[in-house]
Amino acid sequence: MQQHRALILRSNRFLGSALVDKGLVSSGDLEEANDKFMEAIQLADLKRASILSTLLFDLKKLEEAKLLDYLAEELKLGLIDLDFVELQSLRPMNVDLSLCWASSTVPFDHVEGTYMLATCYYMSAPVIKHWEDVLDGRVIWYGTSITSLSHALERIEVIHENEDAAADDE
Amino acid sequence: MPYSVLILDDDADFNSLLTDIFEQADYIVTSLIDPIEAVDVFRDTDYDLVVTDHKMPEMTGAEFMKVIKKMKPKVPVIMVSGYLENDTIRELISEGVGGVFLKPLNIFSLLERTAELIEEAKKLENAPEGDSGEAGEVAGVQLGFAFRSYPCKSGASASFAERLYSLRNFKSTLSLIGEPGMHYRSICEDIRGFYESDAEQFIYLSAGSFDEAQALSLIEAAKKGGAERVTCVLLELEEMDAAQKVLATTLSKREGAFEDAGVTLRTLFCVSGDLDSLFDEGLIDENLYILMGTAEVRVPPLRDCNVDVGVMAQQLVVEVAREKSLAAVPRFERSARDLFRQHQWEHNFEELRATVRKILDDNPGDVITHAAVKSALKVSVGASPRTRLESHLSSQQIDYLRAVSILFGGDRSKTANFFDTDVTAIEDKMK
Repeated sequence: MQQHRALILRSNRFLGSALVDKGLVSSGDLEEANDKFMEAIQLADLKRASILSTLLFDLKKLEEAKLLDYLAEELKLGLIDLDFVELQSLRPMNVDLSLCWASSTVPFDHVEGTYMLATCYYMSAPVIKHWEDVLDGRVIWYGTSITSLSHALERIEVIHENEDAAADDE
Repeated sequence: MPYSVLILDDDADFNSLLTDIFEQADYIVTSLIDPIEAVDVFRDTDYDLVVTDHKMPEMTGAEFMKVIKKMKPKVPVIMVSGYLENDTIRELISEGVGGVFLKPLNIFSLLERTAELIEEAKKLENAPEGDSGEAGEVAGVQLGFAFRSYPCKSGASASFAERLYSLRNFKSTLSLIGEPGMHYRSICEDIRGFYESDAEQFIYLSAGSFDEAQALSLIEAAKKGGAERVTCVLLELEEMDAAQKVLATTLSKREGAFEDAGVTLRTLFCVSGDLDSLFDEGLIDENLYILMGTAEVRVPPLRDCNVDVGVMAQQLVVEVAREKSLAAVPRFERSARDLFRQHQWEHNFEELRATVRKILDDNPGDVITHAAVKSALKVSVGASPRTRLESHLSSQQIDYLRAVSILFGGDRSKTANFFDTDVTAIEDKMK
């Protein structure tokens, strides 16, 4: 995760500003979330360093349903529950799982050169740009909840572990 | 020729009543009940005034006004409603509403205000730029608050002023981020002007002198002056040394010596340059980078506010003429003012001020001509192709330096090695 430290800082700063700009959280709430975020950064606890999950779960200053409604209604973004998606290894796509944790984003399908990505950070421009650069711009975006994304990344971790075990057996 | 008015009210009976009133007063009326349709019609037709209801199902009157003000900001709008909260009225004023009338209506006042607003709008439309007196005052009427650092005749500057006004009660940090040469101090004085009370005070701290003792003594002086809340304005943050930046973080987090300041403290950061580049170059640390993101506002460059530039130049002429004790204040001829509007102003307000000063140093007489402005601008951008080329290469040199610095994660010694020079030379250039 350390290699993604700059992306984590940048994506969270942009997300925080966007949430305030769109009136989804107050600047006072963001300030509180920023403090907790910086604590996690300084402790190098990068998996916990997320302004979004701090606002949603620690401070309870934002309701995830409200955010998802905003993404769907205002930004016309499709939503997806990854619990109902059959996930595959990310290795054929040459994608690092730590980047997924760092950016709260996962590619969940790849069809004829187009990648389907689910993210909790759609309002953070650096996340979108980073992934579109990594995947050469051929991306269809979906919004998802933090719980759905975390479950998906944990399932992919298991898929990778099974692949490693199978490779060891061979 | 009679004036045309667009009336929007979803209550068909009331709409018909308003239409009758305006038609009998010799206005040409378009009456609509659907705000979405009204936006389309407004876009395609020239109206002298709009009258709108506030409570409508698809869109409130305030939202409708916001949309149409973006299209044609000079068309006055009157809001008519059964009931409005004070906050809504305040919001409407800051959005530039020309009048708010509550039902039941006083028809005579409504028609009187309509005539006044149309007359004011026509005067502004016909008056040459800068002839309308103090530009800040004109903007003040339109914005609902005073704002002088930009005349706010351009969409970019008006939105900027409105955003600052909406953020005036920021809790602890606000960042103003712009290009080099911005007039941050004047902008901060405008923010100070949003408050009438002496309980709000601003202190200014800049790279040249900022240290703990200075900050504490200014805070103490503000407290003695009756301050209940002190806003610490940190100017030229990007030029501050490492110790000053750490102090800036401490101050904005109200830690260390500032923990028991005995007064509420807020911090207003003013930065020239792109925050992400400054972060990549190591000129802003992680703490400041995140702190400054809590509430940030982009200061519009002058090239995005070309309508404002003519007025700002005239204001500067007044200032310099007063300084030089000139008997009369010179005025721009129209083509001269156009040159100001067309110029790109890479160094923004500082360049504008230097140009005006140069013109007045050459004693232009009562009228500042096109030739005088052209000559001053030539000097400011470089008189010869050779000078321009030098200036271009010099800016490219800085870009290369920044790119290499980013490549090495802000490590000055690696950057110095790359260019086969010493760290001091690199630091001097980066400044």
